Order: sequence, then structure tokens, then C-alpha cells
Amino acid sequence: MIDPNNLDFKKLGFHAGLEVHHHIISKRKLFCNCPTILEEDPENMEYSFYRYFRPVLGEMGDFDPGMLVEFEKGYKVIYLANERNTCTYEMDETPPFFPDMEAIEKGYILSEYFHCTSFAEEIVVNRKQYLDGSITTGFQRTFISARDGWVPVNGKKVRITNLHIEEDAARRVNWDDTSSRTVYFNLDRLGFPLTEIITEYTDVETPEELLETAKQIGRVLRISKIGRRGLGSARQDVNISISGGDRVEIKGVQDLDLFDVMCRNEVVRQYTLIELKEEMLKRGLTKDEFEHTYVDISHLFQSETKHFAVICPKMKGLFGLEVQPNKDFGLEIFEKSMLITGVPRADHYHSDESDVGFIRENSDYPSNLGIDKQLYEKICAILNPKENDAFVVVKGSEKQAMHALKKIIERIKMALDGVPQETRRFVKNGNSEFLRVIHGKDRIYPDTDTPPVVISLDTIEEITRDIGRRPWEVFEELNSEYGFSQNKVDLLIRDEQLDSFYKFTTELNMNAHLAYKLLIDIPRENRRKDVIINEEIIERIAELLASEIIIPEQLNQVISLLSKNKHLTDEELIDRLDIKDLSSKELAAIVKQKIDFIGKDKLQTSEDEQRYLPKIVALVLKECNYSIKGQTVVSLVNSFIKEAI
Amino acid sequence: MTDEKTIYDPEGYRGILRERLIKDKIRTWSKVSVKKGEAYYEGLLLPRSQHTDDDYVTLKVDTGYNLGILVDEETDIKEIGYQKGHYKLPHVDVEFKKELPNVTLLGTGGTVASRLDYRTGAVLPAFTPEELFSAVPELITTVNLTPKTLYQILSENFRPEYWVKTAESIAKEIESGANGIIIGHGTDTMCVTGCALAYFLRNLPVPVVLVGSQRSSDRPSSDGPRNILYAAQLAGYENFAEVVISMHGTPSDSYNLVHRATRCRKMHSARRDTFRTLSDIPLGKIDDSGTTWFKDDVSPRSNPEDFYLDAKIDSRVGMLYFYPGMNPDLLESMVDLGYHGVIVIGTGLAHVGTDVYPALERCQEEEIPVVMVVEPLYGFAQLRVYETGRDMLARGVIEGENMLPSAAYTKLIWALGHTSNLDEVRDIMLTPIAGEITNRESPRGFMIMQGIEPGIDQILKNL
Repeated sequence: MIDPNNLDFKKLGFHAGLEVHHHIISKRKLFCNCPTILEEDPENMEYSFYRYFRPVLGEMGDFDPGMLVEFEKGYKVIYLANERNTCTYEMDETPPFFPDMEAIEKGYILSEYFHCTSFAEEIVVNRKQYLDGSITTGFQRTFISARDGWVPVNGKKVRITNLHIEEDAARRVNWDDTSSRTVYFNLDRLGFPLTEIITEYTDVETPEELLETAKQIGRVLRISKIGRRGLGSARQDVNISISGGDRVEIKGVQDLDLFDVMCRNEVVRQYTLIELKEEMLKRGLTKDEFEHTYVDISHLFQSETKHFAVICPKMKGLFGLEVQPNKDFGLEIFEKSMLITGVPRADHYHSDESDVGFIRENSDYPSNLGIDKQLYEKICAILNPKENDAFVVVKGSEKQAMHALKKIIERIKMALDGVPQETRRFVKNGNSEFLRVIHGKDRIYPDTDTPPVVISLDTIEEITRDIGRRPWEVFEELNSEYGFSQNKVDLLIRDEQLDSFYKFTTELNMNAHLAYKLLIDIPRENRRKDVIINEEIIERIAELLASEIIIPEQLNQVISLLSKNKHLTDEELIDRLDIKDLSSKELAAIVKQKIDFIGKDKLQTSEDEQRYLPKIVALVLKECNYSIKGQTVVSLVNSFIKEAI
Repeated sequence: MTDEKTIYDPEGYRGILRERLIKDKIRTWSKVSVKKGEAYYEGLLLPRSQHTDDDYVTLKVDTGYNLGILVDEETDIKEIGYQKGHYKLPHVDVEFKKELPNVTLLGTGGTVASRLDYRTGAVLPAFTPEELFSAVPELITTVNLTPKTLYQILSENFRPEYWVKTAESIAKEIESGANGIIIGHGTDTMCVTGCALAYFLRNLPVPVVLVGSQRSSDRPSSDGPRNILYAAQLAGYENFAEVVISMHGTPSDSYNLVHRATRCRKMHSARRDTFRTLSDIPLGKIDDSGTTWFKDDVSPRSNPEDFYLDAKIDSRVGMLYFYPGMNPDLLESMVDLGYHGVIVIGTGLAHVGTDVYPALERCQEEEIPVVMVVEPLYGFAQLRVYETGRDMLARGVIEGENMLPSAAYTKLIWALGHTSNLDEVRDIMLTPIAGEITNRESPRGFMIMQGIEPGIDQILKNL
């Protein structure tokens, strides 16, 4: 396996696109009047019901292949629901209500933030089919707000191809056992208004660019105050491909910090699958050579359950190839077979596991079929493999085991085509597992239950007129005017203090750094000490500073007084600050005393001066009970030092 | 449909935009580009549906999504390509299997399966054997199913003549040896048709199962496929011979209930488990493990030779829903318009206001039967309890026992088809024919399976 930590992404032809899904703040769900409240304990619910899903025939009288694979999984879907946030709409027992206009409008506002040029002037609701049970209807209602936008990323434009508004799916609970044929969903999240923002995947060429793209999109959702906050309100799906590979969608990456490892492990996987394909071709393998001949070898095992084996010609050594860290190609196949057929991956075995130091040994899911050297020989004696052949063993009921072997042979044949297009699920160790065959655009069709909603260009213009500065415009401005770093700007956006920042610096003429300290540093410091400084106090302090009732030096004292009693009048406050009314003579005496305390001998050069000045000023301020402006003290100390030197 | 005029007809577009599309030779289903200031769109031009704005075009863009764009004078729209759609269904070989029962599916408009035209978004009912068996392949191994189309209508557009034709078709199938009949029907008036069939088909020898779908069959969550599979099971194998409705019993895909059509009513506008047996419990239920019969008065299969069709009707019958403040001129005008019979849905035990009495007297004079049924739906019409009720009886009204409105309406149509003699009509109306009147009312008819979900105790505890 190539080293995941040493990849030349540009040379490998890496491309990645994002589908950012983010909840929109809204009072109601998108197609019904249920409130958008999540349950804290998603498994403790008032009622439940269950369903099975079937694919619907396409116009050619056939089924979408992706849909058939979903049907093949044979899920029984159990829904859990609570009265307060679920009605008969989420149960798919009543048609949709008129869509939430608040969400529609917010879609246009977001589109404007992303510089979209082509708006939908009439909302046409579409249905996007899903058979995994995550949506009770079997389709998600979704519509386009606008197309053709962009975000700036490291000096270039990454295009936003589409911005959608859609209803969120139900929350899956009980994810632990992926081989189970019963799946559970909580309906509380179903119907939450969501925006889906899709980027052009040819525009991103490194994981860093991908991360920055995600951050830019996140900043818009925050600065616009449209994105809902809190756990689970944002999910990213990432499309990744390399030259010679194919588009693979990885779902469920919640933490941006994991983007890097996810990209690296997927590049490695695609690279290895391409190598594998070349090796198979070199060995002269063709798809016709794989036969669905399953041999019953149950008598070799001390078990009631059946065991079947299948020969895989010329595959020796290939199942053992490491495709992702600590996962070999065999296990990669078994994950898919497990998800579709329900046979646990531990009940699968491949013959490369007889090699010394085989990769699967280190995986989280080694085989538990207990095939040792002796048993291996016995299986070989029955199957009679040629020197270069490999074999696979599956344990399960006759029906399930046959189904699994069928899926395994099909997947091996696909290896001759390289990287299969599929949707995968991100797992904690940075790897990914098969989730479903990638769905085509063919599964989208108009929703006959909802008539089109006309939104004229004039209305769109009106909605989007006052959107305010975009995050990159804010950065541009604060960076050039005050030298603010992206980090600082991000905090202003994240804490939603940008409006106050502009108000303080323009209307109140406050120094930008002081405004930042007041809005970000001080509340954050206090939060760490579990003290919450409310915005009312911050506003009041800003005004006290602007009208010069207090000076910046008194900030900490003022905050401590106000957070204990916010009802203090200005007079009471000043009173408690215990301001020392010092004559210039008295002040000079204090300054002199502090310089002496440091020691005149330490103040010989201007470097010394720079080093000790802040300390002396701090001591003086403390002595004066912060009643004097720092600037006054600084110039006084300066003149004393000069004198001394 | 290939002449030029048809191709250039911009389906659904109206007004100025339509003229412009025709002038510029822009066809629906063609690939078009739309330019408007900075905005640029490309996609398939879809037909417009009725009752939508005149000035917008609907485009299906590359991602499969549809969106609408206002086309004004400054908008540039051009056809840049055209691809004709091709439709062909795969051939499904359906072999007649000797060991399987023969079931005929008569379609009247309710679709239990459909196929989707992803290109247009149109939902096409799957009704040819090929379509039906492609959509629900399990049917092939369940019964020898012969689908036939009677009508393609919405169930609210049914008329009494259609019930007759449906009954005639059923009779024909029975005579040709069908072991069971399934009627595909829109769910809205399924019960009304069911009642009529129950009166028309005398000495019914095989099951007649009405079935449909509450969730349209174009969605993966549709109840249609399960409903048709259970219907096939019932019609092909079960030993009963009545007109029944079999649809989901709960919001889950767990079991279907078997309702006697004359006691069944649609009780929710949208839910899967909308159908309920009122004032009684359902005949039985069916799930993947088989059929369980709850009642022991279910008519068994019988000799087809005793079967006959009696579908004489007089459809000049009306139905009035009495409400406080109802002007009696409604009933008067029915007399004026020459109605031959009236069902009145009365309050409580089946009362009407005293100001309606003169109109009742007119009906009595003109020998127009007035049959009273109850607004509460459950329980009997009992006009002997209060003085006012006795006053109504004195004016010749017929107490409709515990017939549901749809059962009484169809029965009066059927009765008047046989006689206009008031006493004979009364006799027919008060004689139970197909379970529309129960001679006694068990308390469980108001308690069991009337919408009480499992787990109700828990829900009540948490209120």
C-alpha cells in the first residue's frame, strides 16, 4: 500500500466535491407544522410502527439498479416517534402541507451570499427516491433555490453548482449492528428544513482546499444566522476521485478535522483498486472465469450452521492486498456482502488469511470461522484449487450464505473495472465502508402533491437586498484595516458578534482591538470560568467607554461589578470603582516608586525599556486602582526612564 | 401522434408564451437554453400542468431537478436539441400454472401499481399483465392472475350504471370459472361500490375483494403492492364468498383487515388504515402467516350454479345530510325534481327538526320512501324513543336500522329497481341481505379495532 501520509494529490489527479447539508433555523418543518425539536433520548419514544419499501418501476418498465440493491437488503424499518414533534405527515399518512416560506426565503438569501447567478423563479418540488427507510415516503422532497455560485478558496473560485432546500431524513438509531435486517429510525428529525450546498468537484485539488471550501460555506451559514447550531445540524458528504478511479461519495463526516485522513485513506483505496485491476488483467483474468459454483463444506465444521465455499481463479494474494490501513481487499468485499445480505463480516473468510502476517489479522473484524492450517488443507482437498487460485468461505443459512457468495463473486468481477461508483459510510478510524450503489439522477421526479410556488425575480431581489457582507468580504476588510487574522474574524462570526463589532467601531468610535477584546476575549475568558457575561452588560460597557465614564483600564473591574449586579447605576458603579483622584505630583511619586522597585540598574538600554515598560505600567495602574489612562502612565514612565538613562 | 402539429404543441403552455414557443418552434421535451441577464439555464422543456402561472417555463436540469423560470421579453430562449422518448416494456412470460387458482383482476381506476416516467414525472398506472407482474413479481407465483380493465376513472366519478356493469363483468368471470375476483378501485367510494355489488351478486359463490392504495403507487412506501398480494391470497385461496374490502389494518406494513363491504367505511382522508368496520368487528385479518377469521358468520364458497345476477336499479335516489338550521325546501325540491327515494342522515337516533315535518308529509303523499339513518354512524335508528321520533314515523319515514349511509343509499337504489310499492320497498329495506343490518349490536363493535392503537394505555399515561 502506498503511504497515506506521503501523497502527491495533484499528481494523482485528486478531485473532491462537497455536499454540505445544514439545518436552517425555522419555526416549523418544511412540509408540515410540527416544531423543529429533537428528542434528547432518541430511543425512548411514545409509539412505533414499521414498513417495508419497494422500488417503483421506471418508464422503461425496469428498476433503477441502485434501487434494486436497496430492495435486496430486505430491511424491515421500525420508526419511533413522539407526539410533540411528529404528525401523520412524518408517518407518511397524510399529504404535505404548504411548504415553509421562511425556509424558501432563506434559500434565496444563502444563494445571494454564494454569488449565485441563476435563481429558480418558481419553486418546483421534486421527489428524490431513497429505499433505505430514512424517509417514510421513500422519497425526499427537495427543490432548487439557485445555481451557479462560488466561494473564494486560497485565491481561486470554487464553484457552487446548486443550492437546494429539502426536508431532512429521519435519524437512524442503533447503528451498531450493520448486518441486522431490522433498522430503526427516530422520526423527530424528519422534515427539518435543510439546505444542501453542492460544489463543483473538479475545482478542488487538495484536501486543504476541500477543508477551506467547507469552512467558507460554514462561515456563510453562521454569518447569515440561517444555519442552525448544535450537534447534528451539519453533515458533509464528500465526493472523491483520482485519475483512473471513479467518483465515490463518502457520507456522514461531521468533523472537519477528519477531512484530511478521510481523503488520504480514500485516495489510497482507489490507488490500490486500480493496481489490483492491473494485476488481475496481467494475470489474464476475465469476468467469465468467475463461476457461481458454491460448494457445501459444512461437514468440516463443528457447527449446526452451513458453510459454503467458492473458488476464485487466479486471485491468490489479491484478497490480502491492503486497500485501507489495516483492511484488506477481502474484508472490503465482505463489508459489502454483509450490508446487502446480513451475513456478519466475521462469518466470511478468504484464503489469503492463511498467509503469515496477513493484513486482516490487524483489522477490527477478523474472521471467526476458526480455519487453521489443518482445516485449510481439508478445504483445499475438497475444492482442489490450482496454484494461483484463491477461495472464500461463508457461514450462514443456506439462503443467506448463497446470497452472500453471489454478491462476493459479483464484486470481484467489478474489480476488473477498477473503482466502483458507490456511496460509502465514513467510519471512526478514517476508513469507509460500502453503503449503497450510487443513485442516478433518474431517481428524481416531480412531486405531484405540491403545486409550483411562484417567486418572481422582484421578490427574490427584495428578499436578498440587505444580506450584509459576505465572510470573505469581512475578512478582506478587517484584515487590511486592522490586521485581523482569519482566526479572529472567524471568532467574530462564530460568536455572532460581527454586528456589534461594526456598531462599536463605527457608531461608538471604539478602537477595533478594544471592541474585539470586549466582544470576544472577555466573554470567552469568563465563559471558561463559567461566568456568562450577557450582551446587555457588554452593550452598557461599550456605551460607558464611548461616553468616557470609564476608561479601558477599568474593564475587568467593571465587568466583575456588573456581572454580580447588573442593576448598578452609573453613579453606583463609579462609586464602587473607588477611583483615586491623584494629583500629577502624587502620580509621579507612584511611578518613581515602581521604577525603583524594578531597579534603575535594569533600565540601561532601550531594549530594557521595552521589556520592563509594560510591567511598570501594570504596577502603577494597580496602585492607582486603574483610575488613570494607561497612555498617561506610559508617557510618564517613558520620561522617567529617559531621565534615568 | 407524429404529425408536426402535435410535436409543436407546447403542452400545457398558454397565452403569449405559448405563441412564442410555437413561433420559435420550441417543442416540449426538447433541450433548451434560457438566457436572462447573467443567468443561464439549460435543460429539458417540460409540459406545464394546468392551473399554474402562464409566463413560466419548467426546465428539468442536468441534476434531474425541475425548476421554473419566468420568460419575459428580455429572456432569450432557444431549442438546442431534441430527443424523442422511447417506451418499451420488457416482455414477461406468464405461464398458466394448473396448480394455482384463477383470479381475475378487474380494474376500475384505482392503481395498486404504477410505473414512473422519470423524464416527465408522469405516473402511469401499471395495468397490463407485463406491467403488473414487473411491479409486483410475487403475484406470478401466487395465483393465475388475469388483469382486465373496466374503467380508468377516479372513484368519485362512479355512477350507479357503473356498479351494474362491474357486477355484470364479475358474473361473466364467475361463469368462466374464476376462483376469485379482485376489483381494483379508487379508495374514496370503494365502500359504496362494495355495497352495491353485495346486493347485486346473489348467492355469490367466490370471494370478491375490493382493493386499492391509500399512498399512491408511484412511491416506494405505497401500500398498494401488499394490498394486491393479500387480495390475491384471499381471492384465490380463502374459503369465503362475500364482497369484502381488504386494506391495511395499521400504519405499519403488518396486516390487512378483511371488512364486509356493507359495514365498512373510509374514516380518514389519507391514512393507510382508513377503512374500519363500524358497529361490528372486521371479518378477519391477513398477514404473512395467513388469514385469521374473527367472525363465524362468514359465508363460505358455494356452488356457482346457484349464483345469479340481480342488478335492477333505479338511480333516482338522493341523500340529505340533516343539520340544525337546514331549510326544509331542500327536501321539498327533491320532491319537485321527481326523486323516487331519499336517504336522510338524521341527528342522534335519526331525527330531523320539526320544521321538516311538512316536507316529510309531502313525501308520504307522493309515496316517496324516506329512509332514516344515523349521523353518529354507530348504532341504530330508533324513532320510538322520543315523541318527535314517533311523529316522524307517523309521517311514514322508514327507520334504516343500523345501515351505514352508503349501504342504505345503494340498497334503496336497488330496492326501487324492483318495486315502487312503498310497503315492498320498506320490506326490502328492513330485510338484511348482505350484512348491511346486524340483528343485534355487540358492544365490541364500538370498542375493538375502531382506531384504538396498541399501546394506548402507555400513551394515556403520558398525557
